[in-house]
Amino acid sequence: MTQVSADRRKFRMGRLERKNTLIAYTFLAPNFIGFAVFTLIPVVLSIVMSFTEWKGGDLTSMQWVGLNNYAEIFKTAKVGTEMANKGFFAGLSYFFNKVDLGISLKNTIFYTVVTVPLTLVCSIALAMVLNHAVKGAVAFRAVFFFPYVASMVAICVCWNFMLMKNGPVNQILMAFGSKFNKSWTADSTMAMWAIILVSVWRSMGYYMVIYLAALQGVPRELYEAATVDGANKWQQFTHVTLPQLRPTTFFASIMLIIGCFKIYDTVAIMTNGGPGRATKMLVLYIYNEAFVNFNYGLASAIAMVLLVLVLLVTIVQFSMEDKYANS
Amino acid sequence: MKKLIALALTACMLLSMCAFAAAEEGTVITIVAWDANTTGYLTAQKEAYEASHPGVTIEYIDVSSQDYDTKVAAMLAGKDTSDIYMVKDIPALLNWYEAGYTEDLTPYMQAANYDVAGFVGMETNYAQDGQQIALPFRSDFEILFYNKDLFDAKGVEYPTNDMSWEQYKEKALAVMDDSDPSNPIYGTHYHTWLSTAVNYTVADGVNTLVDGEYSDLAYFYQMIQDLEDAGACMSYSEISAAGLHYSGAFGNGNIAMMPMGYWYVATLITNIANGTYNVKNWGLAAMPTKEGVAAGSTFGNLTGVCMNKLSDDKDAAWDYIAWLCGEEGAKVTAGAGNRPAWVSEGVAEVMSSIEGFPTDEGSKAALLPTFVAIEIPGTALSSRISSILGEEHSAIMTREISIEEGIENMNERVQELLAE
Repeated sequence: MTQVSADRRKFRMGRLERKNTLIAYTFLAPNFIGFAVFTLIPVVLSIVMSFTEWKGGDLTSMQWVGLNNYAEIFKTAKVGTEMANKGFFAGLSYFFNKVDLGISLKNTIFYTVVTVPLTLVCSIALAMVLNHAVKGAVAFRAVFFFPYVASMVAICVCWNFMLMKNGPVNQILMAFGSKFNKSWTADSTMAMWAIILVSVWRSMGYYMVIYLAALQGVPRELYEAATVDGANKWQQFTHVTLPQLRPTTFFASIMLIIGCFKIYDTVAIMTNGGPGRATKMLVLYIYNEAFVNFNYGLASAIAMVLLVLVLLVTIVQFSMEDKYANS
Repeated sequence: MKKLIALALTACMLLSMCAFAAAEEGTVITIVAWDANTTGYLTAQKEAYEASHPGVTIEYIDVSSQDYDTKVAAMLAGKDTSDIYMVKDIPALLNWYEAGYTEDLTPYMQAANYDVAGFVGMETNYAQDGQQIALPFRSDFEILFYNKDLFDAKGVEYPTNDMSWEQYKEKALAVMDDSDPSNPIYGTHYHTWLSTAVNYTVADGVNTLVDGEYSDLAYFYQMIQDLEDAGACMSYSEISAAGLHYSGAFGNGNIAMMPMGYWYVATLITNIANGTYNVKNWGLAAMPTKEGVAAGSTFGNLTGVCMNKLSDDKDAAWDYIAWLCGEEGAKVTAGAGNRPAWVSEGVAEVMSSIEGFPTDEGSKAALLPTFVAIEIPGTALSSRISSILGEEHSAIMTREISIEEGIENMNERVQELLAE
């Protein structure tokens, strides 16, 4: 009798669990369906497509080519020959200086490595200044945030004019003794810096707002204790403010790194990857192969390289989450 | 009262539905084109066709000229059902064809017994694997525009139809004037495209942009750099950074010569007529040639139309294509200041008689080039070769690498691609 009632209870619990699970799935379904249709399926298709040759149109025209697309984007034959004949580093140098994928990878990583810390530093600096009761702080906050909501095309066109030969930026620099007077976007070194400059200028206002919110949450007592311990302003900043901002910095750096890997619009408008291939980024390379040259298979293979890159960064970031995100 | 209002509203709804249905009765042909609102011949073609075909409406879908091929590719990949697509260049058309987006026009042509004699063979550039994937309605070639007032001011003779490139360079240097730095007069102008700068090498009918050997371009790159250094033309870096459009540049009135496609005639005439441009007296001359190449040789491109495989009304689309590319459409195109692909005595007469066209004999004679090479032959790799050449072109023109280095890169990269 006792056994029967226990079984019945178990059965009843099971029904409840099933009901709850069903409710949970019902709530999850709309989001999951959206995710599946617009993200999961395209990603899976893209993985499959990277092993095929497809010029678009009818799906039956898709041809399985195995690893050919990867061999082509990595130029394995040519890079292998260089490595065999001139050594490992010569092959590597060939890949990063002559091969489209290598150049795009190099450019994207350089852009990310410079843009992320620069944006973080500028955002913290702005937030620190505007966190105090500066006259017109609210207006300044709005001004610094404005580029983030302004049209990207308008921003890029305006900066292109500002960075032209004899333009305002070059004029100011020349007043300080600079000898450089060429359009930044027409110079293979400065073109990349032009894109970095615009990216940092555009997004620092957004991250400033996030840091401002985080600064409000730093307990006053910590500063008071630090003052009692004899810490000066710089020491307070490095030993109190920065550690307290760590979760925010962690979040901001994740967002920025992923955003930087996906950079496209600024490059497409300002330089279109030029001069030469000086600012050719991964997404621009994918776009050109897919929608200019109609090599969807090849473009998907390049997209896989980007996927692996983002995945690696994400894994590293997740492994550091406990240490940095939950201080 | 409420019933009365409800009745009145229902009646209104029924009436509007009837009106909507009536409006839907006619045939609508949708055509994807670039600069549809500002291109004179598109308006003229629409008006002429609608007038001669009551009940048919032509609707243009405007796509920006700069990204036309890319955007059209995205539209076609998205199963767009527009009836007709304008074809800007052959490599892009081939990509559409390979992706299965284009309808084969051959059966329609055979059924209508369509005469192709007026195309003088140019329609073959749009034929692939035995299919006619498009038909041309315009045939533009590179020609030299010049501002007569600037030549007169300097007492320099106008460009002629048998000039050599050396003579052209001499004229550019002679007519330039940088005495007023705020308003310099430039001897010539090169737009940022590779074609307008150095593609003249193909005018000999031997060189092509897809052969993987580009040492022949060095001569033209050197000439441009010399002219830039002398201040006889604006620098590429500034033009590309400012996104300066060639039409406004020449229209501004401080550029003496500009190599450009024949399509610019229509823009020039329209903008001079409505007072937008400062330039007033202008003329046309044949492109200069290198030694050993016949005077009047140039390169050109076709502009055509293809039918979308997903068009809802293919018969209506074919009717329009047949009209547009044939004699009747050609006259309308010519009347708007453009050179139609269909050539006949009647069409030539229309071309030179339009208001605003230069009246001098030299300009009229420049309308008849002796040889027109195709700008870039359509091959499966044309698009990728164009991308490579474009990248190296920008590096050479911004002087980030030397001409020799750039050409070496072009040779190496394209040959690598061809070998694959």
